[in-house]
Amino acid sequence: MGASDLNIPVATRVISFVQPALSGSIPAAIIYEPGNAASEAEAASIERAGPLVAGKGSLRLKRVAANALGQLAGVRVAFVTSGLRDVGAQIAAASARQSILTITSDLSCVQAAHCVVAISTAPRVQITVSRAASKAANIQFGSAFLMLVKEI
Amino acid sequence: MRSFARVTCLSLAAGLLPSAALAQSVDYQALQDTMGEPVTTSVTGKPQRASETPASIEIITRDQIARSPAHDVPGLLKTYAGLDVNRWLAGQSDVAVRGGVQTYNPRLLVLVNGRQVYVDHYGMTDWNLLGVQLEEIQQIELVRGPATALFGFNAASAVVNIITVSATQGRSLVAAGEAGGRGYNRLSAVTTLPLGRDVGLRVSAGHQREHELRFPSNQAPASDSRGVKRDEADATIEASPGVGTHLTVNGGYSTNEQLELLPTQVPTRQRYEAMVAGVRADQDTNWGSLTGGVYANWLDVHFGAVHSGVTNFEAEQLKNRIIVAHGAALIRVGLNDVLRLGVEYRNNRLDGDALFTPRVDYGVWSGSAMLDLHPTDGVAFTVAGRLDRLSLGTAGAMRLPAANEMGDYDRRFVRASFNAAALFQLGTAGQLRINGGLGYQIPSLIDLGLRIPLAPMPGLPQVILAGSPAFDPVAVWSGEIGYTKPLSDKIKLDVGLFYTKTNNAIASPGVNLTLTPSMIGGFSLVTRFVDAGRFRTAGAQVSLAGTMGARLDWRANYTFTDTHQEIQPIDVVALAPRDTTARHKVNAEIGYHRDRWFATTVLRYTSATRQLSDDPLGQLALFKVKSALAWDQKIGVQFGRATLSVTGENITGASGATGSPIPADRRFLFGVKLGL
Repeated sequence: MGASDLNIPVATRVISFVQPALSGSIPAAIIYEPGNAASEAEAASIERAGPLVAGKGSLRLKRVAANALGQLAGVRVAFVTSGLRDVGAQIAAASARQSILTITSDLSCVQAAHCVVAISTAPRVQITVSRAASKAANIQFGSAFLMLVKEI
Repeated sequence: MRSFARVTCLSLAAGLLPSAALAQSVDYQALQDTMGEPVTTSVTGKPQRASETPASIEIITRDQIARSPAHDVPGLLKTYAGLDVNRWLAGQSDVAVRGGVQTYNPRLLVLVNGRQVYVDHYGMTDWNLLGVQLEEIQQIELVRGPATALFGFNAASAVVNIITVSATQGRSLVAAGEAGGRGYNRLSAVTTLPLGRDVGLRVSAGHQREHELRFPSNQAPASDSRGVKRDEADATIEASPGVGTHLTVNGGYSTNEQLELLPTQVPTRQRYEAMVAGVRADQDTNWGSLTGGVYANWLDVHFGAVHSGVTNFEAEQLKNRIIVAHGAALIRVGLNDVLRLGVEYRNNRLDGDALFTPRVDYGVWSGSAMLDLHPTDGVAFTVAGRLDRLSLGTAGAMRLPAANEMGDYDRRFVRASFNAAALFQLGTAGQLRINGGLGYQIPSLIDLGLRIPLAPMPGLPQVILAGSPAFDPVAVWSGEIGYTKPLSDKIKLDVGLFYTKTNNAIASPGVNLTLTPSMIGGFSLVTRFVDAGRFRTAGAQVSLAGTMGARLDWRANYTFTDTHQEIQPIDVVALAPRDTTARHKVNAEIGYHRDRWFATTVLRYTSATRQLSDDPLGQLALFKVKSALAWDQKIGVQFGRATLSVTGENITGASGATGSPIPADRRFLFGVKLGL
């Protein structure tokens, strides 16, 4: 796992704190930028971590290119690879439109309210939640979880 | 004792009241797995990472419990800084935080999932009556310092909150057995079963037998020295009937018979029979959470007869019942600040022949608030306050001759307690924590209402040992400065300075009974429990913890405690904190695991103390307890789903290893644990 790669075990646990809980087969996407080596490598890293279990559900992963966000239809969770700042607004719009929980290791995506959750793990786990992005996407977390993370 | 069915029905009916325990709907394991460290609600009432709490805290995890040589909760606690864990007899232990340990130690509030297991008749904890098996414990949380502002009376010096595994964790079964020296044998079983999509059941049971320690010839022998007999059963149902809603119903039954040293140090055999029942509801909202619940604890206590020197009384039975109903709201204010508001009502009553009237009771109404502020990323301020209003009362006719008038028990008082803390994250330089508070220990119902005729003394009128309704709550002031710093990515340092002052400590009469005449309902001479005075402890603690490679973890700590007392001599009161508190304590624990094997070594050094006990004539005296270097060791190996272990306790054979005037022995235990 590279320094900027998303910590998948933590990310899948974050999904389990969504209310109401997601269950069964959960459609999930990896949003990446074709031609961006780092983004493609991170997407591959997430795929290798599968099969992924999140609480009472299991994730059904597919890759979605950043220039083809229309393929997010039906998706409930999206892992956003780093370095997609140019399409952050479009990702936010798709998340809000389709109530998609977006999770990334790129803190700037959450700071810009384009992604809902950012996860960093060095030197220790820090989870940042954008209240604006989660509200826009109508994503709710359990209160105990929210009291342990940093909301911005 | 009432039938269990009736008890459960009463509790379920009472569950209609608005009430709350702490936020126990928290999924501790899931949050720990997510945040990479244990999570607690025991410091402020809100969920917090262990590394971000504004108080000195220890969290003993499930893995640490499984690998520890300890076979009970006091044994697990004894290797942490700032604690005095004295195992007086085979079954009787006491835990004190930052000095002042005594038999029937008060001021440490012990909870299981936020429900009090501290027993109120005498204001103490029977660690063999917790109703919880080691195998079902998720984590044990120790918060040093007063926490009365959150938990109310009795959390005056510290809190231990034992959190059990969730009943909704799926299908599981753990069965364990352990046997060895001095007739020790322990059996336990814990199972969790799904009862539906969002409903789970947890059932646990335990059994323990153990022979008593041998009394030395320089101390009064016990008239009945049969060993420990402990049996427990507990059941919990958890359900999530809707989004963000969590319901818990719990009931349990425990018995324990063991020899104990009373606060007067007289050894007597006690038999306890306890039942608990409770319901709790938690509701998540988009602004925080609401919690409500009610629980009741019933305790029958059978005191053995005492015939030792001047202390002579026959067997007695007391019945204690507490009902606690409380509610709380955790409100997120802004982005990262939290306000907690709580209300509580507690009714506590004691029935028996050895009381001023057939029943002595009190009710306490409480309101509390906590504000947790994070003005910047690196700074947190926490302030909590609570008001408790107590009304003391009696029921039935006063027993004559008496030590008090009936009107003395028509008493009310209000106490305000607080905690305040500041936490500064200093980047790579570490974390600085400054906190302080004022907590209260309420006088126990025995302190308030005891009336027991002592055996006739030649030439004297009736002599009565009595409590006093005039006792004030014991006030405990505490301050602390702590500093935590990672020395490397594998070693963490924690340093702390502490100061604790305990005013109006309550104690039993000492060597010489002070007799005062009373003409209430006839002529009698009265000796009382007394306000013994005050004491303070000041000290420092240093803890280091780290890992070496992937297989070895270790931790070590040192505590220096200086105790100063302004307390009457033991001629007058059975209390001597300066003598009984060890000045130096050092603990080290090293854990190693490889493939199927694990080994845990615990080394403990405790400097010499003097502890109270009765001499062969029944006279209270201080007996020297030698400094001790004790070595405990556990080695285990896993075969499929079974784990076999051998444990050595006090392998060095140090007589002072338990801090008791009764010398400690060496023994070995063999265990097997099966997990499905």
